[in-house]
Formats: sequence, C-alpha cells, structure tokens
Amino acid sequence: MPAQLNLSSAELAFSLSSTSRRGRYRLGFDIGGTFTDFVLIETDSGQITSYKTLTTPQDPSKAVIAGLQELLRNAQAAGDDIETAIHGTTLITNALIERKGAKTALITTKGFRDILEMAKEMRYDIYDLLMVLPEPLVPRLLRYEVAERVDGRGRVVEPLAVADLVALKPHLEESDIDAVAVCFLHSFTNPEHEQQAVAWLKNELPGVSVSVSSEVAPEIREYERMSTTVCNAYVQPLTERYLTRLQRDLVDSGFRKQLYLMLSSGGITTVETAAQFPVRLIESGPAAGVLAAVFYGEKTGVSNLVSFDMGGTTAKMCVIKDGRPIMSDDFEVARVHRFKRGSGLPVRVPTIELIEIGAGGGSIARVDELGLLKIGPESASADPGPACYGQGGVQPTVTDADLLLGYLNPEYFLGGRMSLGRAAAERAVQSKLAEPLGMSLIEAAYGIYQVVNQNMISATRVHVAERGADPRKFTLIAFGGAGPVHAHQIARELKMQGYICPAGAGVASALGFLTAPVAFEFARTHIAHLTQEKLEDLDVIYAELEREGRARLAEAGVPEEQMSFVRKADLRHIGQGHEIVVELPFDQLADVALDDVLRPLFYSEYEQIYGYAHRHLGVEITTCRLTASGLRPQINLEKAETATESLSAAQAIKGERPVYFRELGGFVDTPVYDRYQLRAGMNFAGPAIVEERDSTAVIGPDADVHVDIYTNLLVTLKYE
Amino acid sequence: MHQKKRKSVMNQYVADPVALEIQWQRLISIMDEVDNATVRTSFSTIVGESRDFACILVDQDGSSLCQSSFSPPNFCVVLPRTAKALLAKFPLHTLQEGDVLCTNDPWIGTGHLPDYVVLTPVFVGGAPIAFIGTVAHLADVGGHRGDIEAYDVFTEGIRVPPAKLYRAGRENELLFEIIGNNCRVPDMVLGDLRAIVGTHQIGVRRLQEFLTDYNMDDIAELSYEIHTRSERLMRERIEALPDGVYEFGLDIDGYIEIVHLHAKIEVRGSDIYVDYSGTSPQTRLGAINCVYNTTYASTLYPFKCALVPGIPNNEGLFRPVHVTAPEGCILNCTDPYPVQARAKTTNNINQALFGAVWPILGEHAQAGSGSIWPFSVSGELEGYGAFSVHILPHGGRGAMRNMDGLPPIAFPHNSSVTSTEIMETEAPILMLHKEFLPDTAGAGRSRGGIGQVITFRNIGDESIAARVRPDKMFCEPPGIDGGQPGKVGEVRFNGELITRFPSLEFKPGDEIEMRMPGGAGFGPVSERPLESVRRDIEMGYITLAHAASEYGFVVESDELP
Repeated sequence: MPAQLNLSSAELAFSLSSTSRRGRYRLGFDIGGTFTDFVLIETDSGQITSYKTLTTPQDPSKAVIAGLQELLRNAQAAGDDIETAIHGTTLITNALIERKGAKTALITTKGFRDILEMAKEMRYDIYDLLMVLPEPLVPRLLRYEVAERVDGRGRVVEPLAVADLVALKPHLEESDIDAVAVCFLHSFTNPEHEQQAVAWLKNELPGVSVSVSSEVAPEIREYERMSTTVCNAYVQPLTERYLTRLQRDLVDSGFRKQLYLMLSSGGITTVETAAQFPVRLIESGPAAGVLAAVFYGEKTGVSNLVSFDMGGTTAKMCVIKDGRPIMSDDFEVARVHRFKRGSGLPVRVPTIELIEIGAGGGSIARVDELGLLKIGPESASADPGPACYGQGGVQPTVTDADLLLGYLNPEYFLGGRMSLGRAAAERAVQSKLAEPLGMSLIEAAYGIYQVVNQNMISATRVHVAERGADPRKFTLIAFGGAGPVHAHQIARELKMQGYICPAGAGVASALGFLTAPVAFEFARTHIAHLTQEKLEDLDVIYAELEREGRARLAEAGVPEEQMSFVRKADLRHIGQGHEIVVELPFDQLADVALDDVLRPLFYSEYEQIYGYAHRHLGVEITTCRLTASGLRPQINLEKAETATESLSAAQAIKGERPVYFRELGGFVDTPVYDRYQLRAGMNFAGPAIVEERDSTAVIGPDADVHVDIYTNLLVTLKYE
Repeated sequence: MHQKKRKSVMNQYVADPVALEIQWQRLISIMDEVDNATVRTSFSTIVGESRDFACILVDQDGSSLCQSSFSPPNFCVVLPRTAKALLAKFPLHTLQEGDVLCTNDPWIGTGHLPDYVVLTPVFVGGAPIAFIGTVAHLADVGGHRGDIEAYDVFTEGIRVPPAKLYRAGRENELLFEIIGNNCRVPDMVLGDLRAIVGTHQIGVRRLQEFLTDYNMDDIAELSYEIHTRSERLMRERIEALPDGVYEFGLDIDGYIEIVHLHAKIEVRGSDIYVDYSGTSPQTRLGAINCVYNTTYASTLYPFKCALVPGIPNNEGLFRPVHVTAPEGCILNCTDPYPVQARAKTTNNINQALFGAVWPILGEHAQAGSGSIWPFSVSGELEGYGAFSVHILPHGGRGAMRNMDGLPPIAFPHNSSVTSTEIMETEAPILMLHKEFLPDTAGAGRSRGGIGQVITFRNIGDESIAARVRPDKMFCEPPGIDGGQPGKVGEVRFNGELITRFPSLEFKPGDEIEMRMPGGAGFGPVSERPLESVRRDIEMGYITLAHAASEYGFVVESDELP
C-alpha cells in the first residue's frame, strides 16, 4: 500500500499553522554543522512552529536572519512578538576542532609555560606506538613567563614582576596576537597576581581580549585550568564578533528583547557573559537535547531516564536521575580520536555529561582482522552516505541494514523526500560482509543491527552503573532519526522499563532551548577535613559564591524574588581518592551539627551509590559548588485530540510489511502505523512500525504502546 | 567435558561471528564496569588517581580472556600466570562459592610486594566457570622506608602466600589482621582490599547475567574461540616477518653498578623466541631484580604494540612468543633477592628488543626513552598532617622511524603526573619550575622527545623524607639506525650531583633538581630536514650550539633570532 501523506489534526499540533491573534512567543535556535534549526512556541497555547535551513558557515547569522523571517512568516508573527530568544551554537566547538580561533598568547608563572604541552604525561592509547598528541592551541613561541609566585597555602612567595610584563610588551605587539590567556599557579586560591596582570594587559594592550584562569575555571590542577583558559581565549574574539553581529541582525529583524545563550550546563546566560566565557557554550546543542528529554519526562511522568539521541555519525546518551541530568566538569574538546578519552583538550566547566559513541545511521560495518563484524567509528556521513542513499556509497552502514530488515520504508524516508535504494544496500552488505563472513544477506544485516546496538548497550550499561544506578529502573527516551529504530532492543537488553518516542522527534530536541532557566554554576576548590569549627569557613565561601551568583542573575534580568541558590559540595571519606557531589540544603553550615547531620547525610548518599559507607572515617571536602538560577520557564504543549472509545488504533494502520524480528523467527508481516493518525489514548501492541516524517519507531514483540495526550509513544516492555 | 568441546572445530562461533563479537565486547564492558567501580571506591591515590591496577577476566583454566580498557599492559600478561599458580594450590573442585584468593608473592605475582593479586571465582550451576581478577598496587606493605636500597625481599615488607582472603563469603579475619598489622596505613590497604572484593561481586553478577542472557552454561567455547582467533592472527603477523636471528645488548644504569641486558631474538615461522642469556646476574646492589613473570610481560609488550595494537589483549596473543632468561640473572632473579624497584630494569627491556628487531618492524619500532623518575615526599607536619605525596614525571620519549619522539610522557607503562598544585597543597614544597630541558633530545632523522627539569624546594620548618628514583644518569637512551642517544639525566641536591638514593633527608630550604633525559633519535642525522632543525631552534627545543654540533647547522646571519 502506498504511503500517503495525510495531514491529521494531531499533526497540526506540530505543523506550521497560523493564529489570527498576536501571541507572545519564545524562540529557540541552534546553529549546527549542517542545519540551523528554529523552534517558536506560542506561550499560552503551546503551539509550536519549527523551521530548518542549511547553515551558512561563512556568515552564520545569514541563515539565522533568513530562517527567522521565514519562521515568523509561517507563524504569522512579528519580530517584536518574541519575548525571549535562546541560542545555541556549534561554532565555538568547530573553531576549536578546526583550529580556526584567534592567534593567542599565554602568560604563566615563570618556569611553567610548558605545562600546556606536557599535559598529564599520560597516554590515551597504551598499545599505539604512533599515537599523536593534540597540538597545543598556543605554540611554545607564544607562551611567555613572568616572575611571580603564590604557594600552596595562597601566600605570596614572590610578588608579580611588573618589569617582566613591560619587557613582554614588544613581543606581544610584534606577534600580532588577538587574545591572551593568563594562568598563574594557585590563582584559584589567591587571584591577586592574575588580577594585576590583567589590569596591566587591558591598559597596555587595548583591543586584545584577555582570559584569566581565576575567572574562567577557578579550580585546582594547573594543567586543566590552563587548558580551559587557553580554549576560552582562543575562541573569545570570534565569539564576541559573532554575537555582536547576531544581536544587531536580530534587532534589524524587529527583535527587541533579551537574547540568551545556551550553556553546556543546561542553563542560559546573557550575551555579555557568553562573550566573556565562550568556553562554557561548547556543548550547548547537546545540552538542549537533554533538557528536551527532561521536559518530555516531566510531561509523561517519568523522572529516571536515559536520553538516547542517535543521528548520522554518533549516538549520545545521558543519564537523568530524579529529573536532573548528571553533570560533570570533566570534559574534553577537539579530540585527536573522537572516541578516545584523553586525546583532547580538557575543559573544566560545568557540562551535562553525555557519552558519545561512534554509532549512527551512517556508521560503516566491516570485517576486522579477526574475522569479526565491527561497526564504526568511521561513518559514511551525509556524503556519500549509506549505500542505499544512492550517492555513490559502497560501504554497508547501519541505515542499509535497517532498510534490509524492513525497519525503514524505502519510499517514506524523510517523509518521502528521499527514497532509499534496496539493491545498493544489498550489494554493499552482501559483498563486504555476508560473503567474507559466510553468512546470508539477512543474517549479515541483522548482525549489523545487533553489533551497533551492543556497542550502545555496553556503553550505557557501564555509564549508568558508574552513577550508582540500575538501568532496570530507567526508561529510555529516543531522539534523532535513528533513535526510535534502535530503542527497542537497547531498552530490552538493558531490562529497562520501556521507552518513549516523543512526537516530532526532529523538533523535540530544539524544545530544550525553551525550557532552560537562567542559571550559572560556580565552583571553588577548598580542601579540608571537616570539623565543626571549620564549617564557618564554608559559609564564607558559599556567601561569596552566592554574591557572585546574585550579581550575574541580576545582570541577566532575573528579579530578586525569582532567584534560587543550591549549595553542593564534593565530599569523600578522609583518605579516599574520589568524591561524590552532595547537595547541602542548609542556609548556615555553622549551625549544622557535623556529626549528627552533615556526616550522616554524606554517608547515606554514599551508601545509596556504592552500597556501603565507611562510617568510622571522617569526611573531607574538596570543592564548594553553587548553582544560581532563575525560574524554569513552564511551557505548554498543545494537546492532541483524544480518541473516542469507538476509535481503535487499527484505524491508524496504513499498511503492513515484512519486518525482521529474530525473537519471532525472522520476517513477519507487521502493521505500519501512521504517526499522524494516532490519537491520544490509543493502545496497541508490538510488533509494529510507526512511521513519521523524520523517524521510524520499530516496536518489537512483547511490548505495549500507549499514545499519550501529546501523541508521544509510551512503550512498556513485558518481561517473563 | 570441556576438553571435548575444545576439540570440536566447528563450534557455534565459527558459524556466527556476530555472536562472538557481541559477547566479547560485552565481556570487556563487564570488566570496564569492575574497573570503574575500583576507581570510585578505592582509598589510595595510587589506585584511584594514578590507575595503577588492572581488572582481568580469566577462564577456568586461568587463561586471560579480556581486560578492562584502561588496564596497564603488563598486569594483564602476569595475572593469568598468577591465577594458574593460585589454582595449583587451590584446585578448581575444592573452591566454594564466595571464596576469594589472593597473594602478593613477587615470584608468583607481578614481581614486587605492593601488587596484590585478587581472584574471585564465578560460580554457575555449582561449579566455577571463570574468575574475576584484579592486580592493584596497594599503598603500603610495611618494610623499610627506602625504595631502592635493600638486601633482600624480607626487608621490603610482608609477603602473603597464595591464600584465601575470603572463605565461602566470610572474611579470613586472621589474614586481614596480619596484613593490617604489617603496614603503615591499614585503613587504606584493607579498605582497598575490601573495595576490590566488592567490585568483583559486580563482575560475578554481570557474568552470571551474561550467561543467562545467552543461555550458556560456561564460557569454555567462547574462550577457545577468542584465544584461537587471536593466536591465529598473531601467528600470521609473525609469519610475515622475515625469519632470522636478531641480537642486541645494551648497558643500563642499574644501581651503583651498570647492568647489561642482552636479547637474542629468533623469528622462526610463526613463533618468536627471546633469550636473555648474557644478561647481568641478579644483584644485591639495589632492588632492581626482575622475576620471570615481569620479564615475560615486558617482553610481550613491544610485540603486541608492533604487531597487533588494535586487538583486545588476551592470552591467545601471548602464545606464539617464548621467553627464556637464565635463572639467577637480573631478568629471572631468585627468591629472596630484592625486587621493589624492578621497574628500573623492566622499563628498559623494550630498548633491548627494539634494538634487535627494529629492522623488521617498519614504522613500529621505537628508540630509547627517558624513563620515569618517581619522586615522593612524606612526613608529618602541622598544617599538613601526615602526608605522603608522589609525582611520576618522565623524560622525553624515543623517536619512531618517521615521527619525532613525544615530549615527556609515560612509557612503557602508563600513569598520570600529579599536578604541581596538588603536590604543593598536600606537602610543604614549592616546585621552582617544571619545563622542557633544551638540548636533551637525541638527534636523528626523527629526533627524540625533549626531556624536562623539575626542582623541588622544602618550604616547611622541618625536615621531611624525600625519595627519588632516577634512571639513565649513566647510560643514555639508545638511538636506532644512526639516531643519536638522548642526553643522560642528573639529580642535584643543593647543586651537588648525587648518585645514591636511599630515603633523603630534605631539610628546610633544601632543593632537589631532577634533570630528566631526552628520548633518542631514529635514523641518520643527515636526513633531518633543515626546516625541522630550524623549527626546533625557533621553539627553543635546541640551542644554536647544539644545532651546530649535532646537525652541522650553520646559521645564516639574517636567520639569527
């Protein structure tokens, strides 16, 4: 039966519909490597308008402005109807990966300029003798030193030699640099010398942007702090230029309100702060995706989630526990080997922790030297793409396997905008895999499916366990073109409760932009064994952090009464090498009984993660953390029409096709549901295929599907 | 019964390589989970921060199947040998569910006392079908406070023979007490041992789930297939090398007396035979003796890297390489010779091997490296409490055929350098500099990696104990194919060159300077492109004088910087 594009009222919830009255809107837009995505939501009704256009890498704001005009036209809205605009971008990451940042100098404590190049003296691959290290962003020639020294207690051992700075001036001027990073030892405890140096630089070298480690990443460990500061300096001039330009163009389009930038931490910030600390924006796109998962979790009443976004080249997973994404400040950018930990430049800023593995629709399958079927991390990407794209690709990919197994509809890929070539997929899988492995075509295709899934399953299993969680208590939420195709097997093998396929998965991730609060994360290293007397010291630090937070929130236009502050601390048993982050719900720590309240709080959190705590040992703090945030915007989603009792899901079946399920012994005729015909409240059982324009959900056997009020598919897995 | 299975050539994996791939990857991920849990729950920084441990899955015969992704290479080769020795004492059929075996005997384990090997059987259907194993360097084993000066192993600490750490799930209290009573930081050592046993429980559960999911009774067939395929590939790679006998000898620092290493390598068909006859005898001048296990592991490593770098490590890869070292030589020392600082010898084994077989390894041979230079301080001071901090810095790495040596980086082991700020926060010291040391890298078509210099000053009010274990102060890292050696290192105590390294009294205001060697070069110096020499001058890696003497580089007047 030919697939028919049939606009339903459910679909209208996500369509480019119009309203007659003028509404109030929130706008989110994301500049990715390939596409620039827009999502506009009408605040009251929850009506969403989205738009996608090709990114214009030479002048990114060109696509933004053109796209925005198109979007506004579609929504019949005007620029000044937009109350808030939130922006995410991969430009900063790309500048670091492609080494297209500013010519940057580094000034360090005398004797320590080579730290940037020596890094941690550790190998990221123990068997590769030809291992290559990432080239430092600042070459040795541009790394300068000045005499100054602060010791491990924050005491000045040697004052800053201003004469050294003066002597540097001609070099800095001659080398024609655009940015300078300053990183002195122990500046996270005593920033005095850094502040002096910065004042001097701003005075003597106007026009050169300055990044300073005690502001960018005030945490212990000089290499990581230096690397973060250098990354920041390296991208600062271009970020500033870009944001200035963008803001001006937005104003020209009629937008009058505040523009916010998405942070890697999942908060949003002002243009001014973003221009000062661009390094905090590196993972803004993926962070928005995770926030979308949190949002859908809320709407569907699930707070323990693993978000799973599978696109063309990679799959990204994030653990969301109790409605909160797991955070980390241990992030790397511009890796030499994308999937090898330790091969990149460390960036110590709060980041939503995602694991990324080389498993996407375009990932290439091959037979390795041991005669095993391996997938990725090499990807056929968009060009030439999987063999079935018919653009000259000859390597078998995950998408080719998905097609051969009946998971994808060759005539309804991207809603029918592209048709897939089965013959080319067969040729690729047959010649490159089936023959060398001595398997049948379908066995080889299913092999691809299984191996790529296993790669994701293993990574997820380890990652969830690392967080002291049990996957059986979690629900998977699938995004991306390939996510819903692979979600079923992943959720089942991890024995998860089920999985969610949000409606309009293509738009879904951009929705995350609209749900982010204004938020800033602060951290300060403070290492001490906790005693009752020393708790006062912590209050002093938290008060400082809070003052800073309050100022930043005020700058971002958050009214006092909407501000909230959460105190957290990195704690461990005395003598232990690893900390856990514990929330401290106290206004004054000095008033809290250490032995009766604080220590037990730590032990019980520790027990929850690792099963036991060493209650006879004291507690040590290493870092004070504070999150300062404004209110989280509530957004509504338009609700779908509810099915009347007489309407069964069968009415949404648009046909059937043979689909391969190993559990059922091979190909079975499987009903194909039209996502746009599904009504809220409908139920059906797997095996089933649900097709929509941007993705296909493959529901295996022993699964019940419920269509919720927003037409999300909630799939419950049944176990024996 | 399992023997019978092994004889069948046509097992299920031959027909289904997908199942093999999936199951193998899942086994690795189980060990990764055990590995992560070890980091998270450990007490000592040497396990948690420096990652001086490995998690390995072995089959019921004690052969290794896989290791966690970050495991140090040598441990993975040694652990199965230890497992086999433990099983010789506690045969399979005598084991009970909940038993945990352990030992730190250097001759059974990894060659020095701090490394404990812990082995937990995985029971399925009432019988052990595999073992979760961990080797971890624990914080203390008692013994003298020095590092390298020891007469015999008895002065180096407590030795635990193959023993049951747990019996049927119950702690062997006496053993715990003995271990705890014989070390300086019992909370840390016993805490780490218990943490390891806890992580093994995770591994046991995961492996049991694995078997249930795939409806398997044991892993014998899987193990057979992993080993067979790996061995086959290793043999193919060796087969592709020209047959012949390759020989190389070199002097290394040793301690007090120079030590000679001699390797004769025969490549014959698909086997490699390495013989260390001609190597110096074991010594009591320094705890630098290696037990056979360590020699064996250090010998396998360069071949693994050169021939099959991408294959997950397992016992099948080891089988075609045969290692002999005469008993009583420094590479096969006898009980009770001192062994604590054996890395000073084992870290140089790769130089003997690459020195012999480089002509047949193509781009996968490496010139000599600057080695690891462990430094630590300990003491008890007001404001710092009882402290003990260490840093593991390195010299430059040796050059490859077509690639300059890397700047200071761990080799052949792997570890992470402690941050200056952490060192200075935990102990009353100031590091005056940590920077590249120009003119240390050996010249060559590919030059060696540049060395570094670090100086420590005691800024406290009292004396503290400092330990330094330098290498290559006398014998240079050797070059290959005309590449020049790296420059030797030096240790200066308040400016004076020192060559003996018992525990040093580090008084207030004292300074210890470690000038670490550069890596050696590869290929004739004359083949180095001039622009590379020029760039090295510009970067400050070499001086003009060095460029002139080593490369014959004459500077045009307009090029003068």
